[in-house]
Amino acid sequence: MVGHRNCEGFSRRNCLQLGLGSLLGGGLANALRLRSNAAEGNKPTAKAKSCILIWLDGGPSHYETFDPKPAAPAEIRGDFEAISTKLPGVQFSKHCRKLAERLDRYAIIRSIRHNQGNHGAGNHYMMTGSPPRIPVGCGAFVSFHPSLGSVTAYERQSAASLPAYFSMPRMSRSGGPNFLGAKYAPFVVSDNPSSANFRVRDVALPEGLSNDRFTHRADLRKLVDHLPRIEQPVAADPVAGLDTYYQQGMDLVTSPEAQKAFDIASESDSLRDKYGRDAFGQRALLARRLVESGVPFITLYEGGWDHHGDIFSRFNSRMPGLDQSVAALIDDLDDRGMLDSTLVVMLGEFGRTPKVNSRGGRDHWSNAMSVLMAGGGTPGGTVVGATDRAGYSAVDNVKSPENFASTIYRKLGVNPDKLLYTPQGRPAHLVSDPTPIVEVMG
Amino acid sequence: MTHRLPLLPPGDMKNQRDMCIWRTSAVLLLLAFVGQNRAGAADVSADNNSVAKLQLLPAAFSLRGHAAKQQILVTGSDASGRLFDLTRAATYQSLTPNIAQVNERGIVMPTGDGEGRILVQAGGQQAEVSVKVTEATGILPVDFERDIQPILVRQGCNQGACHGKARGQNGFQLSLLGFDPNFDHDALTKEARGRRLFLGDPEASLLLKKATSVAPHGGGKRLEFEGEHYQTMLRWIDGGAVRRVEGTPTLERVTIEPGDRVLENKEQQQLLVTAWYSDGSQRDVTRLSMYQSNESAIASVNADGLISAGTITGDAAVMARFLDQITVCNIAVPLAGDVSPEYYKKLPQKNFIDKHVWQKLERLRLYPSEPAADQRFLRRATIDIIGRLPTPAETRAFLKDGSPKKREQLVDRLLAEPEFAEHWANKWADLLRPNPYHVGIKATLNYDYWIRDSFRKNKPLDQFTRELISAKGSSFRNGAVTMFRDRRSPEDLTTIVSQLFLGVRLECARCHHHPFEVWGQNDFYSFAAYFAQVGRKGTGISAPISGSEEFIFNRSTGSVKHPLTGAVMQPRPLIGNAPPIAEGEDPRAALAAWITSEENPYFAKVMVNRVWADMMGRGIVDPVDDLRGTNPPSNGPLLDALAADFRAQKFDLKKLIRRIANSHVYGLGSLPNERNVVDTRNYSRYYRQRLRAEVLLDAITAITDVPETFAAMPAGSLAKELWTHRIESIFLDAFGRPDPNQDPPCERTGDTTIVQALHLMNARNLYSKATSDKGRAAKLADAKQTPAKIVEELYLLVYSRFPDTEELRIGTGLFDKEGTNRRIATEDLLWALLNTPEFVFKN
Repeated sequence: MVGHRNCEGFSRRNCLQLGLGSLLGGGLANALRLRSNAAEGNKPTAKAKSCILIWLDGGPSHYETFDPKPAAPAEIRGDFEAISTKLPGVQFSKHCRKLAERLDRYAIIRSIRHNQGNHGAGNHYMMTGSPPRIPVGCGAFVSFHPSLGSVTAYERQSAASLPAYFSMPRMSRSGGPNFLGAKYAPFVVSDNPSSANFRVRDVALPEGLSNDRFTHRADLRKLVDHLPRIEQPVAADPVAGLDTYYQQGMDLVTSPEAQKAFDIASESDSLRDKYGRDAFGQRALLARRLVESGVPFITLYEGGWDHHGDIFSRFNSRMPGLDQSVAALIDDLDDRGMLDSTLVVMLGEFGRTPKVNSRGGRDHWSNAMSVLMAGGGTPGGTVVGATDRAGYSAVDNVKSPENFASTIYRKLGVNPDKLLYTPQGRPAHLVSDPTPIVEVMG
Repeated sequence: MTHRLPLLPPGDMKNQRDMCIWRTSAVLLLLAFVGQNRAGAADVSADNNSVAKLQLLPAAFSLRGHAAKQQILVTGSDASGRLFDLTRAATYQSLTPNIAQVNERGIVMPTGDGEGRILVQAGGQQAEVSVKVTEATGILPVDFERDIQPILVRQGCNQGACHGKARGQNGFQLSLLGFDPNFDHDALTKEARGRRLFLGDPEASLLLKKATSVAPHGGGKRLEFEGEHYQTMLRWIDGGAVRRVEGTPTLERVTIEPGDRVLENKEQQQLLVTAWYSDGSQRDVTRLSMYQSNESAIASVNADGLISAGTITGDAAVMARFLDQITVCNIAVPLAGDVSPEYYKKLPQKNFIDKHVWQKLERLRLYPSEPAADQRFLRRATIDIIGRLPTPAETRAFLKDGSPKKREQLVDRLLAEPEFAEHWANKWADLLRPNPYHVGIKATLNYDYWIRDSFRKNKPLDQFTRELISAKGSSFRNGAVTMFRDRRSPEDLTTIVSQLFLGVRLECARCHHHPFEVWGQNDFYSFAAYFAQVGRKGTGISAPISGSEEFIFNRSTGSVKHPLTGAVMQPRPLIGNAPPIAEGEDPRAALAAWITSEENPYFAKVMVNRVWADMMGRGIVDPVDDLRGTNPPSNGPLLDALAADFRAQKFDLKKLIRRIANSHVYGLGSLPNERNVVDTRNYSRYYRQRLRAEVLLDAITAITDVPETFAAMPAGSLAKELWTHRIESIFLDAFGRPDPNQDPPCERTGDTTIVQALHLMNARNLYSKATSDKGRAAKLADAKQTPAKIVEELYLLVYSRFPDTEELRIGTGLFDKEGTNRRIATEDLLWALLNTPEFVFKN
């Protein structure tokens, strides 16, 4: 069970926050926030130092991935045959071949279900552990609650001079910080690491600018920066904030260690091949490099899983590549002894309808979905729960998005029962049901 | 003499933690110490005061029943009239020990029936209070609401983090902060098959066993076994745990003494909180109230209502809450040291704003900073009023202008610029702008047009508000109806309308009584009833783009019900009187009339507060739309005067901006002096602000002379002209424009982030603007200009001022070296200037 650590969980940072919060006259909200931090009794111990969240936007079919129903009628079963996995009696759909061979090293959860059947809402529910507060449209990009990544960044900070939360190649719909503030928004790397001249926006120098000229400019900037600073912290000069961030930015741009994290070209060709030479494969490899550099949360956003039509041909073209990249990521983390401290999660906003529709696709279906979870203490060879025999609905050991979010938070050492306070002082539970999925807690 | 620190045993975690806390407080002390030393003054403590007069509160009171108590509050005053607390310094003596006793803290308790007297001595003065005791040995029946509920509140049982949260704790749920006594009484007496209370064996009640931690309790020990509260609860259970004792008066109000006090550094003040009941009786509830300071670094408060000033200068509001009644004591802690009243009399007063700010500074003994230089004023006013930087030509002309009225003339000129409307509409759009994915593109575009058109016409803000709140018609024709397309329930409309136009956060009262305010669910749903008859016809919100037309109209039927009682709510404003709603009339018209009428003090205040915050860097009330007693204005008279002036000027936004910009206070410099460095709320200096995302991007466009291109906008459009935040711009996102995905969508962040620093440093877009062949740097470098001229032009463009000699030397030095490329030198200097805080901040 979870150890009660009480005050031992306090770091020097907490102490400083106590001091600075009152110094800056942070007011009621800050006082409340501090109190909630101090009152946090059961901070779980972290199994995972980092999390790589693979977000398959659109909602991948559970039938064509990890929950095939070979015995179901053809209009439900679909075109693909089921294949056996490392675990006797457990079958995957045919394109998940490499992952099937490795099921002894990770877990599949087949019994998460919820009631948010459109993209905007489903994304919000799975990405934050909180359902949208008001009904939202399908195309909506909404945020009512801080995302898994933003909360992790807020709680954990980054070990290196790198930002604590990355999202590649874009932010997911509900992946933002909400009331935690812009500081905890993801650092988005939109650039393609599979291209020969990969550079990270704003962190690498703009093309055409030499290192020498950059250094010269930076020196010149120091020379012309004449605005007097108000030294006394009590004056709360906002310029001090920019100075700090400017220096951090400089470190990021100039520190070899930070630049090294992005230097994907230094990986061997054979490893790069294993991950797959497409954008997603190389992003997965880049994510591993970021984890090595101490980044606690990385979202790999992979769109195109909203298969309302032609689902089988589209799986034929996309799924083998994804299967290869994710298998390579698990292998690579394992080979480096990093799997135990790195949580890898793969999911979308929901599963797909049982009956293949007239366009040869499947529609949104939040009654059933499959979630992959590897590393971070997740026991391998685990299949949690089940859907009914035709895959209509999760029926056995049913779990909620709240359980899912609580699992991730617990693994990352964040207490899902924590009370956060909005800047207006309103209390908000991090997750309304803080119960994790015990079978994958390890 | 050497000063030794205690040695720490290595590896002792606890001590290291203590050490760390110690270090932090040492920093605080050090800062405070520096501040004080500079002020060159000593603490004034109560001991040093020569007491000229003693004042005792309450001067006469009654005690009924054996458990009654009364705190005596002792206040001294010196010859100058300064007031200070002597409650803990005084000595107390009962002159009638058979009637009442008094302890060393000044708490009087009954011993026998009759009239008694208590003698109080302090600082060589003495005075008496009289007490009337009845039923001195009588054990009075315990009433749930009057006697038990305050204990549950006081012990924190019904806090949001414990049993007060929506899902309760461990199966036991109480109403948040005890605002619903019926619910709580049921929870205690009826739920859990009555296990919580054992009437037959009160001490075996789960409630008492848990609260005293005899049975395991997640919340720990909350009650002292055999303590006073424990005894009360025991008597209540023993008496049958009744909901209401017949004849118990109801609580009407709560008062606090003192309501307002100036405290020196580290001075303390005891509070006295009195509850007033429907039968005219009063009761000392000082030790049954909950206390909270909104700025505990300035003045903290303990559980017994003892306020302790720190060493930081400023104001604090100390809230006392007893059941659903809230009252506030305003504390000011001035900067140590003496100031002369003459100093403040000589400060310039250009209008009433200056008078009120100077009065506040005198109270806190702060000095204002020196006025800002002309170039700073020019840049500040141009940014604030029309949302751009001054051009080099404008800067040259302004600096050359010798007129003593040139600042006022500048303000008038800026207010007449067409850009004024775009800039202020952009600010208002932050508050109103819907997500086009929700309401559709056409509705969003029409709304944006309606907002911009209102500011182009300088529509008075009361008219703007009335038109918006009572808008009807097609979403394709009248942009103002979009709010009703976006917010579709009376409850959602109540939330946004009260926040925008009253500055009152009613949202809390939707589900429970507002924890820091007087508003309850009755208030919320009575307000919501104004929106009960909003009709919608046509196509509502429809995935994926909500592109169709919808009509908003008054359907003349419809009601809002209270979610708990099911009662149909009649439309009622929060305070004051609203015009009656005639048969067939749109209730929204009555609401709009009330909001903008003199019956409603909030509207004018929240409007002026927003504008003031925009221009001055911080709201008089902060956050700007959270007006409540427990979040008082930093300068109440100033806010009142601005609101009154705004009303007298018929809610004319330009006149309000002119008033603020023409004050002496607006033109102060941002650099602090020794007597105002501690000030961040009283406008003794100009508070630096990062430029808004749109202003910054438009400035870069103007400086580099390379236009930005936006999707869905004509070529050459400015960022402040965008009709939705959805138009893609990495720059605007990085610099904190509101994210329309967020709910509520109106939060704009003025923070700085590492993303911003990196973006200024390395963004491709900025780099290409600075190095474009058609851009400013290329033009300057190509023209037959001297390096000095180039440098001067860049400084005028980026900083709106001339370079000084040193800066000119550094700048021209770039061009001096052998084989220097003029273009590269120009680009590098431009880049360097754009990356400095002098560009990014308003000074």
